[in-house]
Formats: sequence, C-alpha cells, structure tokens
Amino acid sequence: MIDTVRTTHRLVLALVLAIAALVVAQPAFAHEQAAAAGGGLVRGLLHPLSGMDHLIAMVAVGIWGAQLGAPAIWVLPITFPMVMAVGGVLGVLRIPLPMPEVVVALSALVLGAAVAMRLRLPFAVAAVVVAVFAIFHGHAHGAELPSSANPLAYGVGFVVATGLLHLCGIVIGTLTRWPVGERVIQALGVVIAGLGCYFLAQSLGAVA
Amino acid sequence: MKVRFAPVVVAAALLLAQPQAADAHIIASRLGDFYTGALHPLTDLQDLILWSAMGVLAGSLGAAAGRWLVLVFPIGLLAGLILGRTFGLPMAGPAVDATMILLLGLLLAAAARIPTALLCAIGFGLAVIRGAANASDLAPETDHVLFAAGLACAGYAAITLVMALTLTFRSDDAAPAAAWRGIAIRALGGWVAAVGLMMAGLAFAS
Repeated sequence: MIDTVRTTHRLVLALVLAIAALVVAQPAFAHEQAAAAGGGLVRGLLHPLSGMDHLIAMVAVGIWGAQLGAPAIWVLPITFPMVMAVGGVLGVLRIPLPMPEVVVALSALVLGAAVAMRLRLPFAVAAVVVAVFAIFHGHAHGAELPSSANPLAYGVGFVVATGLLHLCGIVIGTLTRWPVGERVIQALGVVIAGLGCYFLAQSLGAVA
Repeated sequence: MKVRFAPVVVAAALLLAQPQAADAHIIASRLGDFYTGALHPLTDLQDLILWSAMGVLAGSLGAAAGRWLVLVFPIGLLAGLILGRTFGLPMAGPAVDATMILLLGLLLAAAARIPTALLCAIGFGLAVIRGAANASDLAPETDHVLFAAGLACAGYAAITLVMALTLTFRSDDAAPAAAWRGIAIRALGGWVAAVGLMMAGLAFAS
C-alpha cells in the first residue's frame, strides 16, 4: 500500500516536472527566415486583437451584416478585406488621413448604435458607411506594415484576424433568429456603442 | 505496484552512453537534393500563398478544368527552373509576386468562370515565374536534376492536394450547403486579394 502511494507520488512529481519542462521550453528558431515570417504573422494576427477599438468595430460590422441579411451578410466578408487593403496601401504609402484615431473610435460608436437600434439602411448606404470605416481601420494596420520583419506575413496575419473577427460577428448575429437572442445582440450593440463613446472621448483628449 | 528505480537508472545511463547519429533526415544522404528541391518552396511564404491560391482557383472551377493543372503546373516549374538556371532571368520580385497574388485573389473573390485554356496559361505562367525564383537559390554543389525532381513533385503534390480539398469542400452545386461554401471560397479570395493589394502598395512604396 505504502509502495503504491510512493510510486504514485513519484509519478505525479515526474509528471509535474515534465509539464514544467514543456512550459518553459523555447522554440529554437534555427531558421532565421522562418522566425521572421512567424514573428510577422503573429504580430499581424495580434494587431487587430490588441486594439479594443478595432476589435469591437470589426465584430460590430459582422453583427450588423447578419442583422441586415442578404446581400450584406455575404458581400461583407468578400469585399471588406479588399476595401480595408486600400486603406492599408494608403498607410503603407504614408498618405495621411484626417483624424484617424477619432474616426476609428467613431466607427465603434456608429456601428454599435446601428446594431443596438437594428438600423436597416439601404444596402448601398450601409456599404458606403462600412467602406469609409474600413479604409480608416486598414490605414492604421497598413502604417505598421513597412516596419515589420516580414511584411507579407504581417499582412496575411492582420487580414486573417480581421476576417475571423467578422466571422465572430456574423456567428453572434445568427442569434437574431430568436427573440431573446435579438435582445442580447441589441444589448451587445449598446455596450459596443458605449465603448466607442469612451474611445471617442479619449481620442479627443476629453479623458485620459 | 512496485517500481525498481536502480535498474531503470542504469539502463538509461547505458542508453545515453552509446548514442549514435540517427540519420533520420534523408536530407543528409545522397538523395538530399531531392528533398531540398521539394522543401525549398515550402520555406517561402510567396510560394505557399501563390501555390495554394492557384490550387483553390483550379478546384473552384471544377475537376474537369482543374485537372489540367496537375500536369501543367509541375512542367511550368521545371521550365522556370531551367530558364532561371540557364539564363539567370530575374522573373520574380515583390511587384510581380504581389500582382499575381492580387490577380488570383480577385479571380477567386469574383468567382470568375474563366476558360480552361486561360486557367492553364495562368498556372503555367505562375509556375515558370516561381520555378525561376527557386532556381536563384541553387548552389553550385547542388545536384540540379534531383533538385528539379523534388520541386516538380512538390508542385504536383501541392496543386493536386489543394485542388482536391477545394473540390471536396465545394461539394455538389445542388447540395444545400453549396451556397455558403461558395461564399467561403470567395471570402478567402477576398483575403488573398487584400494581401496582394497591400504587397503591391508596399512594392510601389519601396
């Protein structure tokens, strides 16, 4: 009995040590090019996720697209990355846009309010609103591109991350099928709009 | 259960005391240049994106149109490799790569039903350019025949696998899920086009 307990303890200790060794292990990165590509990819993937204003606006775009239904729900994921890339090119070329931080914060406010109010604009008008915001979001990402160790990997990363955020929004937007889900989404829109208000005030220097 | 640690420790010490080189990587043997040729494109993000996009485009057009690429693409890679090695043609560059990524992305996003001849022409042109790009890294001591065979096999495998995956994913046009699957492929095209557009901007800026 005692031997069994001791053996169990030793096995647990060995397991803990093995897990600890795995946790503290670092990748070798013997291939410099692969490391640069991997670093660029991770940096690109994290860029849209690390800025809360970008993140909530992109999710709101997906939810609004789902609320609007066809054709917005399928036109959005196809065209948004390309329109955003136009803004990205402007950022790469260092062509300045007026008040980029303010417009990015405004996008969260407007898109959150549109979700909260279930705003049903004509498709063309909604597309123009989203396109303008897409250019400003793309500009912020694109400005980081030339300084990246691997611009192509960075570009792939941020386009994929943005697309996945839209997908999250579209999936959340499917809750509109149920009355309770619709209320939840509207509440989420209020939260996004509230955060947009905060970021707008922050970008205007009203709050620290 | 009773575990005897002393024999285990002795056995482990004996094993550690007489290690031999595993030679698990055939890359270190005489066929190494074949694997160098096969693996070389996989270390380049341009090749990965362009080859994958080409395979998805071929798959999205259906098996009848796409199957020609299984033959055309590896031949194009070999032609590019020979041209690049013989004449040292610097075919690829950031602007050319970006333009090709943008073109393939737009064709996918638009779900363009291009003719088979045009698909083969695009596939062959892309393969020639990427084959020449891979030739630029050929070292003098590399066995060119083995390298070329590896590159062609990698091209064949990549195009065939990606095309087959796309065909399977797209499923039958009459299936209920065909609509959203088609949209997913077009959305992927939008992503590819966006990356190509930004790379074109970067190439133009630098």
